[in-house]
Amino acid sequence: MHAMAPDIETTDDLLIEAHGLTKHYDGFSLQGVDLAVAEGEVVGFIGQNGAGKSTTIRALLGLFPTDGGTSQVLGCESSALSRTEGARVKEEIGVVFDAISFPEHLKIADIGRIYARAYTNWDARRFARIAKDLGLDAKKTVKSLSRGMGMKLSLACALSHNARLLILDEATAGLDPMARDEILDQLRDFVAEPGHAILMSSHITSDLERIADRIVCIDNGRIVFDLPKDVITDEMGIARCRVADLEKIANTGIIPDAELRYLRHDYGIDVLVPDRFAFAENFPEIAVDRMTIDDYMTLTLKGGAR
Amino acid sequence: MKSAYLIEMTIFRDYARQLIALGILVSACIGLGMQTPLAMPATLTCMFFMMSAMGLAAYDQLNHWELFRLTLPLSRKDIVLGRYAAIVTFGLIGMVVGVVVALVIMTVVATIGLPGEVGEAFAWEADMPGVMSVVTCFTLLIGAVVSSVVTPIYFRLGQTRATQILPTIIVLLFVIPVVILGNSGMLDGGIPGMELLSGALEALDTPMGMVVGCVILVALSAVALCISAAISLKLYEKREL
Repeated sequence: MHAMAPDIETTDDLLIEAHGLTKHYDGFSLQGVDLAVAEGEVVGFIGQNGAGKSTTIRALLGLFPTDGGTSQVLGCESSALSRTEGARVKEEIGVVFDAISFPEHLKIADIGRIYARAYTNWDARRFARIAKDLGLDAKKTVKSLSRGMGMKLSLACALSHNARLLILDEATAGLDPMARDEILDQLRDFVAEPGHAILMSSHITSDLERIADRIVCIDNGRIVFDLPKDVITDEMGIARCRVADLEKIANTGIIPDAELRYLRHDYGIDVLVPDRFAFAENFPEIAVDRMTIDDYMTLTLKGGAR
Repeated sequence: MKSAYLIEMTIFRDYARQLIALGILVSACIGLGMQTPLAMPATLTCMFFMMSAMGLAAYDQLNHWELFRLTLPLSRKDIVLGRYAAIVTFGLIGMVVGVVVALVIMTVVATIGLPGEVGEAFAWEADMPGVMSVVTCFTLLIGAVVSSVVTPIYFRLGQTRATQILPTIIVLLFVIPVVILGNSGMLDGGIPGMELLSGALEALDTPMGMVVGCVILVALSAVALCISAAISLKLYEKREL
């Protein structure tokens, strides 16, 4: 792999910290997941369907016991989050799952009441303002909301109790582009405040390109890479080669063999380039495009290696 | 626990309102059909205990609320104790509504001077409050026991899976023993202590007996719910959501 998850050091700045998180199910296992989210960071968590993103998030939240490893959220063991001694830590965690998670007969105003009863720091005015900005009518019931409006409601709730940490599982799925813009602006404002951070799983990698500081990819229950987003999008490139070019590139040694990944197409071959500027100087005749998170994930997960 | 309790009350509020309207109608029909006002608080008390236990469990699984609820600042213990507190609250609401409705109907019947058997059955009698208290407390015990049996199963298995096996459990626990006892002739004096039970039932005819009977029935209900809550805490602690 190009970039294995770096060793995670324990520091006071980490809002989420997981080491070797393991959970076995029939047909699927989380296998030694290491993950860290530091203060001020937006960490994008990506992977294919069924790769283990939601399972990891639920394990971090202590929603089930794990079979191995340790994890802490805001300094509290995940396993303690559902116990009396750790429950209050969740005051500072805003969570959004990939679908609306409230009983469908409730009105939006009722959801506000539920949060007011659950969170001592609930900011009813802020909730009302965000809800209004997002076009949510307090009299509407959950069942009458579209998926997108439901996600807006969940996000409005997560942003209205003075959380320090947001854990968002596909939270922007179902939102139209303008709503995503609004939400991403809100998330940027959130993380700009001292002591805040976001862990955000998403299939919409364009959102992560706009907001994330680091990208963590999971596949088949294992972390396959953990890289600063700028390394992927600003430094890396994707060379559009002919088949014969691959040998030429490999022979120059500009890309270490261990890092040389490629993907064959009918019309040629795409090669992952760790430094596209250096590559362009060495191979001016080969077109090099900017790398996207999608490209990098595809090359890492599906590409061939020499 | 208070937060979890208030959340339960918020979630169940609308359904409880519908249940009160439906319960009043059903209990009035049963009361008139059986020609006794005693059936009204009895029906509503029992109905509210059972329906709140089942209804709250049903809401748990809507939109994976049960899973999401644990991301709120609540512990599993809060959730279990909040659920029992809500069940007891709704059960007692049913009891109070039932008693009030029965008294209102009795007053109306007396005021308009309804003739015939119904008029007689709903006429105010001096011993009515005592008898109504004992009967209502007995149905409180029934409702509490049923809720105590089903709630741990809901907490362990979730509403969908629990609903599949609950009929079997109810039959095993409540129907088969009654059938066996009834057919064995044991109820006719074969069970040790039956005389004591008969004596206790006779004592219920006295004012002091009624008071003691009500206290015992309420205490038994509380014990059943406490044991059930302790079991639910153990089961829900280990539940994988």
